[in-house]
Amino acid sequence: MSYFRITLMRSGIGLPQKTQGVLKALGLRKRMTTVYYPVSQSVAGQILRIKELVDVKEVSAPMTKEQMRASRRPDPGYYIEQKAGEAMWGYK
Amino acid sequence: MFGAFRLTNPLSGGLLWKIPWRLSRHQKYRQRERLRNVDTVVATIDNALARQGQSMRKMERWKMEMPVEQEMLPKDKYTVFDRKVKRYRKGIHKVPKWTRVSQRLNPPGF
Repeated sequence: MSYFRITLMRSGIGLPQKTQGVLKALGLRKRMTTVYYPVSQSVAGQILRIKELVDVKEVSAPMTKEQMRASRRPDPGYYIEQKAGEAMWGYK
Repeated sequence: MFGAFRLTNPLSGGLLWKIPWRLSRHQKYRQRERLRNVDTVVATIDNALARQGQSMRKMERWKMEMPVEQEMLPKDKYTVFDRKVKRYRKGIHKVPKWTRVSQRLNPPGF
């Protein structure tokens, strides 16, 4: 089962009400919103209506909001050997 | 004197919005990029549906009728038909919302 990853790149402001309605139906409220939908003809038809505004990729599995956030987070540059609380256990 | 409603030539008089007659080469470049982006979106959808063994009438028509960016003539990329303009062509940048609408085909012969 594959999915469409749809990201709104250009805003629908000022475009016909029908176009804006498609954006709303797909859950694309603000620019850079990403939504996932299973590949189907009805979704494909909706994307064709807004093809100038979106970026579309075919992916094998959808990502949750938390996963998308985590994937954007940069590498912190360190790793934790031992937590401070654990290091102090011997002194209590 | 300052601010949004200051007295400038475009605001105080009639029609003095100066939209250049032709596109700059950077505008043309971005226009080509946009055309290619739409082409990739359509190709992605088509591939995804084909992998599931599906297709759409709308998609078949698009593939049959619409030229991709590489197949289009420069005339069609940067100008559009307009019956009110001398020689029936105007720059595509005069079309309202021209960066967010598709306008690829023009009447044959014009």
